Amino acid sequence: MSDKLNLTLKIWRQASPGAAGEFKSYKLYDISTDMSFLEMLDVLNEELIQKNDEPVAFDHDCREGICGMCNLMIDGQAHGPDLETTTCQLHMRRFRNGDTIVIEPWRARAFPVLKDLIVDRSAFDRIMQAGGFVSVNTGNAPDGNAILVDKDDADQAMDAATCIGCGACVAACKNASAMLFVAAKVSQYALLPQGRPERTARVQNMVAQMDQEGFGGCTNTNECEAACPAGISVSNIARLNREYLRATLTGAK
Amino acid sequence: MIQTIRAAGSFWLLRVFGSTIGRKLVMAVTGLGLCGFLIMHLAGNLLLYVGAEEYNHYADTLHAQAILLTIAEIGLLILFVGHIVLAFTTDRENSAARPVGYAMKQTKQPPSGMAAPASSIMMATGIVVLLFLLLHLADFRFSALGIRKHDGDDHFTKAVNILRDPLSAGVYIVGSLVLGYHVLHGFQSAFQTLGFNHPKYTPIIKFLSGLFAATVALGFGSFPLWAWAIQK
Repeated sequence: MSDKLNLTLKIWRQASPGAAGEFKSYKLYDISTDMSFLEMLDVLNEELIQKNDEPVAFDHDCREGICGMCNLMIDGQAHGPDLETTTCQLHMRRFRNGDTIVIEPWRARAFPVLKDLIVDRSAFDRIMQAGGFVSVNTGNAPDGNAILVDKDDADQAMDAATCIGCGACVAACKNASAMLFVAAKVSQYALLPQGRPERTARVQNMVAQMDQEGFGGCTNTNECEAACPAGISVSNIARLNREYLRATLTGAK
Repeated sequence: MIQTIRAAGSFWLLRVFGSTIGRKLVMAVTGLGLCGFLIMHLAGNLLLYVGAEEYNHYADTLHAQAILLTIAEIGLLILFVGHIVLAFTTDRENSAARPVGYAMKQTKQPPSGMAAPASSIMMATGIVVLLFLLLHLADFRFSALGIRKHDGDDHFTKAVNILRDPLSAGVYIVGSLVLGYHVLHGFQSAFQTLGFNHPKYTPIIKFLSGLFAATVALGFGSFPLWAWAIQK
């Protein structure tokens, strides 16, 4: 048997990028504790549509924790109160009857609000375009194990590669810094032989793009690591710093 | 293959100082340099506990090295100015990175037992340390505070008289404790910024950071209490 919740939602409403936004309160009744957070918002939007009101715009796609789209600040926590959980994986059983839930978009200069709870995260795309790739020869596929990789390196690269690019690190950081995201992306290539040819230019270009987008700097507060739904470690940030130092001191440019 | 460096064009050192990571690297290096100075400073001050003669001998010998002392002071000035200027620069940039704040903000980090973790109030503790430093320099280095006259006093007597003053004793104790809290985060954070994070050594560095912070806070903070205790 699932319990039912009566909730008050305080949601950021903003009509367009330039418009002034404000919080609006909504009452919801008989919300099942079995619902996901996004299903609860779906119920709200159904009600708003039936009342001919504008539904709340929020990002979502896979609803299974791997696409990185459902980025909401819930009661001041990126993706809500649970550790290593995305908004879509958050369940209403985490809340109590009568709760007031504050829902905000990510706040960062580099992530401008498009509408309501949706922000433009294309800054991350541009950082990836600056160096988040490896060059691969065309032709026949190479043998699977032609290039040997140390097991520890492979594990760490895989851990870094679990970053879903949701931006929770930026949202949670007091400086709106994108260091954990860039660190994860630089690390996953830096650890593997396939990433070596672009190693020096990659970190310089991705960091330059990160700065150009207007993210803040890292003060090692570790808030990003705690907020990350993929559990990316701040040890990756140390690797990013190391890669940047190496590229700066030994690179030709 | 990536052909170009995007921010190319300007001189590479300027590019480094213009980047968020580069600035933090400079913060880390200057911060660690200043930590080294704190150790030297505390070691010298601890001679107060050995005796007046030993302390005076140390101070006189130090001041006799006019050229070396000037070089050291210029070096310290560069470390301080670099660290402080970059602190204000990065703080302003970091604030600008979030023009609209949150109505509600909480942390997911496990509670540290402190009201505010050292890492989140570095600017505030840094400003307190800066004010303390200016007062301390005015007091000891330039004897500029008109309320006290030290003409003819030896170094030991001068130190004891300054530390014994209730107002300055309070300032020195608070300053030392805040300084300890500042380096509690600063010391271990510098290693992370310099890229030094290792499953074997990082726990040791964090432990040493705590030990260093306690040594600084209790070491420097103990002098006013001692000066008060030896009062006849």
